Amino acid sequence: MKVRIPPIPDETYFLCMLHNIGATMPERSLSIEEIAVRTAMDPSEVEENLRKLTASNYIEARVVGGTKRYHVTLNGIRKVLSMYS
Amino acid sequence: MVTWEFPPRIVGGIARHCYGLSRALAKKGHEVHLITLDFPGAPLYEEVDGVKVYRTKVELGHPDFIVWTLIFNHFMEKRVALISKEVDFDVIHVHDWLTAPAGISSKHYLNRPLISTMHSTEVGRAQGLHTPDSYLIDGFEWWLTYESKRIIVASYSMKREIEDHFRLPPEKIDVIPNAVDVEQYQRNVDREAVRARYMIGGHERLVLFVGRLVPQKGVEHMIRAVPMVLKEHPEAIFLIVGEGWSKSYLESLTRSLGCESRVRFLGFLPDRDLVELTLSADVLVVPSSYEPFGIVALEGMAAGVPVVASNTGGLSEIIEHDRTGVLVYPGDPQSIAWGINRVLSDREYSKYLIQNAKRRIAEIYSWDVVAEKTLKVYEAAEENPRK
Repeated sequence: MKVRIPPIPDETYFLCMLHNIGATMPERSLSIEEIAVRTAMDPSEVEENLRKLTASNYIEARVVGGTKRYHVTLNGIRKVLSMYS
Repeated sequence: MVTWEFPPRIVGGIARHCYGLSRALAKKGHEVHLITLDFPGAPLYEEVDGVKVYRTKVELGHPDFIVWTLIFNHFMEKRVALISKEVDFDVIHVHDWLTAPAGISSKHYLNRPLISTMHSTEVGRAQGLHTPDSYLIDGFEWWLTYESKRIIVASYSMKREIEDHFRLPPEKIDVIPNAVDVEQYQRNVDREAVRARYMIGGHERLVLFVGRLVPQKGVEHMIRAVPMVLKEHPEAIFLIVGEGWSKSYLESLTRSLGCESRVRFLGFLPDRDLVELTLSADVLVVPSSYEPFGIVALEGMAAGVPVVASNTGGLSEIIEHDRTGVLVYPGDPQSIAWGINRVLSDREYSKYLIQNAKRRIAEIYSWDVVAEKTLKVYEAAEENPRK
């Protein structure tokens, strides 16, 4: 039987990218500018995705040296891995 | 053994399978080295019941999934090569395409037979090949089956699937069903206390789903069945355990059906909590549309919970309808509701299913049996290692 597949939200793809570039632990967290460079995305687009994902606890932010840095949470990692298995 | 998931990095059934199999092999006196990926909070090396577990730290990343996969495979392959300086491996056992490149390169580098376990296929998971990534993954899967001396699958339906799709000789494939750690489900739990923890009243009937929240697991169909169940059993409450990319869609579907007060999404639960919750459930639903095996059904059967499952893939082989569980039409909310209602309405029938299921689990689905069969596959692969 065929499975009806709902569209994958843009922020989920973004979450996957953040996971795949290695921002999966606090010590590997990245700033908005760094994420924008590594994912070739516009910083405002990065910020919007981060806002949505932080609200749903898939991403955590911490301030290091006055700069906000982001990494994927355990729940976020599980969400990403569910895409690939 | 090379796998991309091993506890606490649990994505789906692969982690449970590798955990059960590797420990059972070690228990039989075999030296098992398991190479996997790192996970926040888990040590980079540890011994788990005799299994040497190496978690590979991936130092590089890339936003593209396939490139990222190749990068982590490179690091795993290096890890195997380093360990092989001190350990003379007899066989290399790879689980699914995600670690195929590491397994294949290790096979050629070490000149040892490669065995692969195909837990599912891309064409099955995605119900076709619709994207360039899907085509690539399908290619990796074919490559793995081609390079493998022997291929293990958990069900006859999966054997048919890979035989047809990858044009494989049937004699190259061995069917070894999954297993369940029965002891885990033999402890006494205070059902009332567990249910109270999830705010479930004594009069309420607990319907449980455990799995990844992705389309092939069929959660959508179970949610569409909820209003039909509530009509007959307003005391039913549905708990959905698991994480996945379609979670927000499923939550909005629940709201649109007006049953958000009777359906709760709990997210991922640690093993101990999950076992306790399973032991406290009144029915476990496995509504998958695509399921090469369905280890969660075994867990329900071992826990003494009546299982309502789709009549598809491996589930049809695990469950005997009306004897060890209830089989329903996949993707059909009416049929799923019928199955749940049947179990909730008749306690004697439930007891009958539970007794039969427990007996069946003890007879067939033990890790000891799986390890024994897997060893036979290793031996067969070693007979002509250079072929």
